[in-house]
Amino acid sequence: MSVIKIFEGRERHIQQKGDDCLPLSCNNDSLAGVVSQRACVYSGARVVLNPLTDALHLVHGPIGCAAYTWDIRGAASSGSDLYRNSFSTDMKELDVVFGGERKLAAALRELADRFHPQAIFVYSTCIVGIIGDDLETICKKAAMELGIPVVPVKSEGFRGNKTDGYKAACNALLELIGTCDYTPKSYYSVNLLGEYNVAGDVWHVRPLFEEMGIDVVATLTGDSRVADIQRAHTAKLNLVQCSGSMTYLAKKMEEKYGIPYRRISFFGLQDMASALRTTAEFFDSQDLKEKAEQIILRETARVMPQIECHRARVSGKKAAIYMGGAAKAVSLVRAFQELGMDVVIIGTQTGDRDDYQKIAYIVKDGTLIIDDANPLELKELLLKQSADLLVAGVKERFLAYKLGIAFCDFNHDRTINFEGFQGMVNFAREVDVTINSPVWQLRVKRQSPINSRSDLTMNTGVEDAIQEPCQG
Amino acid sequence: MPSKNLARVNPCSMCMPMGCVLVFRGIESCMTLFHGSQGCSTYMRLYLAHHFREPVDIASSALSEKGAVYGGAANLKQGLRNVILGYRPKAIGIATTCLAETIGDDVPQIVREFQAEEPLARDVTFIPVSTPSYAASHEVGYRVALKNLVQTMVRKSKPSGRINILVGSIISPEDVRYLKKLLDGWGFGYILLPDISETFDAPLNEHLPRIPAGGTPLDDIRDLASSKATVTIGGVVQEPGAGDFLEKEFEIPHRPLPLPIGLDLCDRLAASLEELTGDPMPEYYERERGRLLDTMVDAHKVVAEARTAVFGDTEMVLGITRLMTELGMRPQIIATGAANRAFAEAALQMVPASRIITGADFSEIAEEIMARDIELMVGPFTGRQTAKKTKIPLLRVGHPNHDRFGASHQLLLGYEGSMHLVECLANALIESKEKGYA
Ligand code: SF4
Ligand code: SF4
Repeated sequence: MSVIKIFEGRERHIQQKGDDCLPLSCNNDSLAGVVSQRACVYSGARVVLNPLTDALHLVHGPIGCAAYTWDIRGAASSGSDLYRNSFSTDMKELDVVFGGERKLAAALRELADRFHPQAIFVYSTCIVGIIGDDLETICKKAAMELGIPVVPVKSEGFRGNKTDGYKAACNALLELIGTCDYTPKSYYSVNLLGEYNVAGDVWHVRPLFEEMGIDVVATLTGDSRVADIQRAHTAKLNLVQCSGSMTYLAKKMEEKYGIPYRRISFFGLQDMASALRTTAEFFDSQDLKEKAEQIILRETARVMPQIECHRARVSGKKAAIYMGGAAKAVSLVRAFQELGMDVVIIGTQTGDRDDYQKIAYIVKDGTLIIDDANPLELKELLLKQSADLLVAGVKERFLAYKLGIAFCDFNHDRTINFEGFQGMVNFAREVDVTINSPVWQLRVKRQSPINSRSDLTMNTGVEDAIQEPCQG
Repeated sequence: MPSKNLARVNPCSMCMPMGCVLVFRGIESCMTLFHGSQGCSTYMRLYLAHHFREPVDIASSALSEKGAVYGGAANLKQGLRNVILGYRPKAIGIATTCLAETIGDDVPQIVREFQAEEPLARDVTFIPVSTPSYAASHEVGYRVALKNLVQTMVRKSKPSGRINILVGSIISPEDVRYLKKLLDGWGFGYILLPDISETFDAPLNEHLPRIPAGGTPLDDIRDLASSKATVTIGGVVQEPGAGDFLEKEFEIPHRPLPLPIGLDLCDRLAASLEELTGDPMPEYYERERGRLLDTMVDAHKVVAEARTAVFGDTEMVLGITRLMTELGMRPQIIATGAANRAFAEAALQMVPASRIITGADFSEIAEEIMARDIELMVGPFTGRQTAKKTKIPLLRVGHPNHDRFGASHQLLLGYEGSMHLVECLANALIESKEKGYA
């Protein structure tokens, strides 16, 4: 039995925990015409690489692909602003017909001359994949000529989905890693993988490691410089946060440089604490373990009163989660437990079978699990599960609002820091102010003295104009 | 003079399908589908959601490797089928992305096949538009979509005596509402197309329909050829479009007009409507005109000789520049992202001493700004980095605007919109002076 039925071929992408059913269908191409919330290979690559602040990110393709990705993410920088610019070869009809190789080569020269980047990433877009420009050769030549790394990113939009873009980005990073020497400042050294410094997240996390006496060699890629990436091979441990985007890189680094990795998350009190503990345990140092416990104790004591206050105001409310990647979704489930909230819907754009198994394991019976959702399904599910809050990205925000449902932005374009101990306070506050805003109590229909009508508030007034499923 | 750069740095324009969405969304019960890979539609949804603060559903035929190699017909048909099943639209606008154009799919042919094969397609109107973005910008996409839409749908029937009001460039939902109020007040029959006043700015109420309510009724669009005249508002520097088509095919006289921004250009719209209807402009608007004039006189010293940079969509830039010259301001840089010669000529006539840039990007605009002692930038939010770098205030107008509230409610048109604009210009200059002294 399917939970809701809107589109033929989507039934197996939605299931309810507790049902005895086939494994959730996932990790395949989006269905045409259903308005998937996914983006493309290029977007995945861009997410991973863009936070590299002193690199020049050149999009080889028509102008749109670059225009819509110009400075749209909240990854913050403590140094260069170069990554906030949008660079495009702006391919025209002639380039499509005769190939864009010459234009690309010339653009690389021109941009290196004008902006003096530490490295250039060249992203290929859909039409480049079709006309078959040889990025590899052009980049190699340009690197020799310009004396900086020029790295092709194979991100033709149609060749897979976001996950393939992550992989393309990781491959690009691998070309940089190991090209510079460095001796870590401490015996204990780590890289933070899958940490993008959205809204300055890493500035709340990195100091904790440093306080323990650990050298953070590189963050990949939040607030990092090309030089950081080049020396990343010198760290002793990789801590992998956004597993969807970076596990591939961690595995490759293990193969190539013998650096083991651990999966962690910096979001939520429990997860943040266990990230510190995992690290201390890895190095098997009593000193580190003690320091970790001290930090956890101190920070928890510091933030707990505020979190308790918000918790009292939100506990018992129902949350829906729709994320790009599964790791964050899982972290969110634990964070909502810390706030006493129930998760009633959980979904991702790009989760794979393992991810969904993990998700199914940690959520309660009755929770709906959805893969690669679309607006119509999200709407039905939000209403069916009477969610009080949706956590997702901007595309979903206005759907929630129109339904009278509170919303929390948990994507790359958010502007509030959510990681680390302080981040959890910010998150709790964000959830609290949106759920408990008086706007949800305002009347959707004015009460008229001459025309008696219901006094619907937003919360109760929501109804679906088209309830019945489509004929398939 | 530096040679034109090869690479684009910080673009001042978007791609063609973006323009199509703004047309399709202004039609009753119409969904948009992009034929191409998934990313383009998701990016543009995101972009539009930021600007309008509304849910924006755009379907995609979600081409993958297979589709790219063997052609996208199967995906496109499945996509259309799912859009019909999921959204029950009366019309579907289909724009091609660069990928579909490059692999060379014949969309009109695929659509014809689909209509023949699929019973579900019977009552749906399909509007295919070819929009290879490597050929032109979002403004051209808008114009082409409008033209294709009209070409696809119009039918000749008996004269209705109405006037077609075509919105020739991208304006805000508030602008459209203003125009409708003006025309309603005048009291003649008209068809306004496209009408995004409700569809991109829906009131919050208890229903959330799958396709936003509002838009130009399909029957009205079919009936465009029965009208007695066409006015294209914001259609002077564009290549021939829907209005020209109606004139050529159905002998309906067409008047392309600039966007009514500033006293003179508003007067031109008023005069045109008076000529076409024989009825005078309602008294209410005469008083509004007087208030605009009053405001311009009040503000003239504050804004006098202010050196400005105006950028964005062609027609909007020309309108704002015109208002600035009426006020005694000194627009120094007039820029648009589109490659448009008519724009350059029109701008040159208005402000011969200014630097006029077509096909602009923000690296070029920034260079010019730094060379010219500019006091105020006026244009979309995409100028914000330049503003920050040069420490020049930016007055946000037009599309896109992602970082401030009110994009949907910004009124630029008519005597009233012009009056707001005068006040905003004056206030922006005052505030920047205050900050300078602080
Ligand atoms: S591929 Fe073309 S249609 Fe798609 S975003 Fe890029 S420029 Fe626009
Ligand atoms: S053209 Fe391809 S790479 Fe560019 S946005 Fe569209 S799907 Fe992504």
